[in-house]
Amino acid sequence: MLRVRRALPLAAASVYSAKLEERRGSTFRHGAMRKRIAFACLVGLTLPLLAAAITVTTPAGPKEVFARGDLLDVVALLRFAGADVQFAPAAGSYGAVTPEHQIQFTPGGALAVVDGRLTPLPGPLRLVDGHIVAAQPTVIALLAPLGWTMKGGAGAPELIRAGAGEQIEVSVVRAPTGTTLVMRGTKQRPRVVASQGSVALQFATPVTLLRPVMPESELLGAELRNTTLTLRLASGIEVTGTYPLDDPPRFVVRLGTATPVAPVAVPRTGPLVVLDPGHGGEDQGAKGPGSELEKDITMAVGRATAAHLQAAGVTARLTRDGDEAVSLTDRTALANRLQAAVFVSIHANASLARGAHGAETYYMRADASDPQAAQAAARENASAPPDTVQLILWDLAHVANLNNSARLARTVQEKLNALQGIKDRGIRQAPFVVLTGATMPSALVEVGFLSNAEEAARLAAHDVQDQIATALAEAIIDFLRAPAPEAAPTQAVPPTP
Amino acid sequence: MRALRPIVATVAVVAVLAALVLLSLHHRAPAPPPAGAEPASPTPVPGKLVLFFPGDDALLHREAREVPELPAAALPRIRLVLEELLAGSREGFAPAFPWTATVQAVFLDREGDAFVDFSAPPPDIASGSEIEMTLAFAAVNSVVANSPGVRRVQLLFGGHEVTTLGHLDLSRPLAPSVEMVAP
Repeated sequence: MLRVRRALPLAAASVYSAKLEERRGSTFRHGAMRKRIAFACLVGLTLPLLAAAITVTTPAGPKEVFARGDLLDVVALLRFAGADVQFAPAAGSYGAVTPEHQIQFTPGGALAVVDGRLTPLPGPLRLVDGHIVAAQPTVIALLAPLGWTMKGGAGAPELIRAGAGEQIEVSVVRAPTGTTLVMRGTKQRPRVVASQGSVALQFATPVTLLRPVMPESELLGAELRNTTLTLRLASGIEVTGTYPLDDPPRFVVRLGTATPVAPVAVPRTGPLVVLDPGHGGEDQGAKGPGSELEKDITMAVGRATAAHLQAAGVTARLTRDGDEAVSLTDRTALANRLQAAVFVSIHANASLARGAHGAETYYMRADASDPQAAQAAARENASAPPDTVQLILWDLAHVANLNNSARLARTVQEKLNALQGIKDRGIRQAPFVVLTGATMPSALVEVGFLSNAEEAARLAAHDVQDQIATALAEAIIDFLRAPAPEAAPTQAVPPTP
Repeated sequence: MRALRPIVATVAVVAVLAALVLLSLHHRAPAPPPAGAEPASPTPVPGKLVLFFPGDDALLHREAREVPELPAAALPRIRLVLEELLAGSREGFAPAFPWTATVQAVFLDREGDAFVDFSAPPPDIASGSEIEMTLAFAAVNSVVANSPGVRRVQLLFGGHEVTTLGHLDLSRPLAPSVEMVAP
């Protein structure tokens, strides 16, 4: 049980000070008054301190903790929870360490690194009178990884071990087919109550979260209140399935689009190529010294490439039809939905090094193929239903795509190198967002540097744009015609000297 | 003797008060040090850093730099490396960041992943995959090259995790890039 210790209001101290001022001078000489003044000073100095303290009930007994309004001393509470809390002056951050866990946080921020994972906090941490303070939800989020929590509200806070209820851990596995939440630590099968924009998982007995649930694109956040875990979902996302798993006991919630998007019907006999003119709309991309805009150049090259492919009998689609903004993930998603054979994203480059010039082609870096999703999926392989196995298969297929993506990038770069006046910068690997999640051979081509005045002027010329488009179309056709090798190298090839 | 009594009494009271004050100071729980306060450090140990800056070929070039004090601890060392990087090249290479960035916070986890929070870029930041690549890997390569035990670096901006600045996936820690470095 806990009480706020505010025996006298702060105003009392100021009344004493005012009376002190009135009496100063006329009665200062008298001993009795001196005693009163001393007492008043004592009260005046002590009361604000008392008013800034709150008593928190802990398993070790009541403890006084600095508080300012609803804000509580985070460092003191973490220490009561058994953490060794130290301040790292050079980094400006605090570290709370137990034998099992490590939490780092910074005054002024609303983020923490919990066991190496960046974790958003419900609210900011503030520095008040030399104490790091936060509202109770933020304190609870920091205590949760250590197995502690608070209850009782701001008036009577109590620090308790989270083991009072079952402690569950929620893992979020993201895959192109949707997001999967896996809950460990309970045998309970919660009742699932869906509503607009959220879903409530109602457990029979209270549960606590081992650590905060990481939000991502489809899952905006999670809030636990006693027996109910409420998941806030992104627009258009709903629960597509739930099922329990045994050994160890888990409960799985699958999220997906509310209305399954059917593959776009494209009447075609041969392979489909999706071309992605980079940027568009308010996102102008790079800008040349002569006001050349990347979004215009990529659109022109994309349209011309599509025309050359169509003329050669290859169906081509663009991710945008005009000067419009399309998100990076939507561009890849279109190619996936269309079941494209090839995805090529077209860009023009910029560098702070003004002399930089030339063309280069990228394909996906292997270590960015979402290893977390693969690891999480692998953990689920015991008694896994078919859709979990598909997660693993998807990841394997994605990695296998790297071989063909490397071949596509090489073919594109070789064709560009054959053009007059283009410096070969080689093929490289990078974790570009637009290539992440593509389920077909994919590459991103940078056709030149707009930050280089000479190259920017060249790229803005229609004949040069058409030459580049011809080279891209030839490369794609060559790639589609050539049989895929069994084992192509996946390492980037340096530029030719 | 009677005349000395008030003096003795006063001295005794003062002594008791002083003892109480000292005792209370001794028992007071140490307040957390204010952010940015530096502990008393031993004799500064000079050291050498290797930083990575973009050259005219848009590859990263090594630049050796001597610093008067090279911290042994990981966090202050990472901060120093990045502050030296953000201060710019002394050998004529291009700046790593297209805006005047500052290091706001540095974290390091037990897996060797460093999290570095830079001040947020302005809305009209120059765009381009090469700019993002050099920005990211100038920071990542410089930190990993000079900080034993650090394997990867995740870049945060304005106190937030970001998915991308336009091209590169920045939602997770990045390993250093060898192919970005000029031979």
